[in-house]
Amino acid sequence: MELLKLESVSKSFGGVQAVHEVSLIQNKDEITAIIGPNGAGKTTVFNLISGIYQQDAGKIFFRGMDISELAPHRRCALGISRTFQNIRLFNNMTVLENVKVSYANHLTYNFFDEVFRTGKVKKEERELEERAFEYLKLLYLDVYASSYPGNLPYGIQRRLELARALLPEPNLLLLDEPAAGLNPSEIRELMEMILNLQHTKKLSIIIVEHHMELVMNICSRIHVLDFGKKIAEGTPKEVIENEKVLQAYLGDLGEVC
Amino acid sequence: MFYSKVLETTLIFSIFVLSVYPLSGLTGLFSLGQGAFIAIGAYTAAIGTLQYKLPPAISIMLAICIGIIGGVIVGVPTLKLRRDYFLLITFGFSEMVRALLLWMAQLTGGAMGIAGIPYAAGLPLIAISAIVIFFFIANINKSAFRRNCIAIRDDELATQAIGINVYWHKIKVFILSASISAYGGALYAFNMMFIEPNLFDWLESAKLIIIIFVGGMNSLLGVFLMSVIYYTFGEVFRFASVWRDLILGVLVIVVLIFRPQGLFGTIKTVFPTIRFPFLQKN
Repeated sequence: MELLKLESVSKSFGGVQAVHEVSLIQNKDEITAIIGPNGAGKTTVFNLISGIYQQDAGKIFFRGMDISELAPHRRCALGISRTFQNIRLFNNMTVLENVKVSYANHLTYNFFDEVFRTGKVKKEERELEERAFEYLKLLYLDVYASSYPGNLPYGIQRRLELARALLPEPNLLLLDEPAAGLNPSEIRELMEMILNLQHTKKLSIIIVEHHMELVMNICSRIHVLDFGKKIAEGTPKEVIENEKVLQAYLGDLGEVC
Repeated sequence: MFYSKVLETTLIFSIFVLSVYPLSGLTGLFSLGQGAFIAIGAYTAAIGTLQYKLPPAISIMLAICIGIIGGVIVGVPTLKLRRDYFLLITFGFSEMVRALLLWMAQLTGGAMGIAGIPYAAGLPLIAISAIVIFFFIANINKSAFRRNCIAIRDDELATQAIGINVYWHKIKVFILSASISAYGGALYAFNMMFIEPNLFDWLESAKLIIIIFVGGMNSLLGVFLMSVIYYTFGEVFRFASVWRDLILGVLVIVVLIFRPQGLFGTIKTVFPTIRFPFLQKN
């Protein structure tokens, strides 16, 4: 079933055409990847899906609804969560609070409940705390609950960002280079974790990644971008054998020979 | 008598500091217009009582309402802007309010100010107000409100991406801040019995922010303690005149160098000692 659909979406910055008429379809319960050389516009596509940038042309549909004009927080409320390529955690909050903060949309108490700290606030905060701990445990982060993220190793910060993205129970998860800066054993663990999450949480996941082992092993389909244009789409095997993809990555082989 | 006066002044100024805390301390928005909201509250209360013969309680409520309206007028168009522009615009707003107070002389008494305001806010009212406001802010400091504020201060983009309406939350914070400032201003008018436009200039607003920084941005108790210490010290050592500000200046520099998290800041540097189970498997 179709979850997300991009219809010839374009975005340019000044004279640079970062994304040019890219269309893609993401189904429920599948893991796909967007790959491409540096500067191909992969992260821009993520920023367009999550609403951080507004596209110049084209439309974006999520669960059959046109979300092209929605602000980022509205898209998150509909079920799109993401992580960032350069980790963006809240360094003045503990690990536990970093996770809790992303649940704001699901809390039903209002400002006056907060001021008078009514039973509703206490109850929801207690439930939230349990939930947050559940997710911290799921990602083996519970031992760090009261530390500040700035003091933690890189790999753990990455997992914390993932936990924060998962807490609001998204339907679609966008992972922007989740393996960047991780060592090989951590990458293997990450792969297991992504597959596991996809399975248990019934998530649909799009990954932007340079690490080919990860992409080839866990993704069912791959979209390849080059200079903002989509040049190929298919299963990992099809993509590897695609001539255009080889050209984009290795240059024109004719010239070299 | 002198000490009870010192306590009254200290607590009123602590209310001002508390009003700025959610805005500058938690959300990291610096408003140089807070003095203007204080002035709006004080003048509304004074004019309401003297010219329209309203009872002080009604005047105080009116002051809060006008403060909220002022907060909406200033906040809605400016809070989408970058923080530095927000600071400049609130500075402009502060100067504008001061100019208006000077100019509308038949209503506000111009540079002469308003004298003869009835004494309606004694120590009990002020003390109860300060404590109640402290607990209200302590309450919102235990729930989503605080988390959203700090998230906005740390990273607005990530805050949007996790589903928080940054603009709306900033408006909420700003209006909360403006209303408490206006309330404090009204108490000030009913306590001092005299107000004039120059009492609440942008320097006063800047001082409130400095106290929050020195006290520790993340710690409500730290900020409250710092404001009590600063204003008590300020009143008791009034004879030291210029030296007071000099000592404050030195203190600010020393604190920012040696304790950047603030005197009573809560940021701890805890390094976890427990190994990560995930890596141990290998």
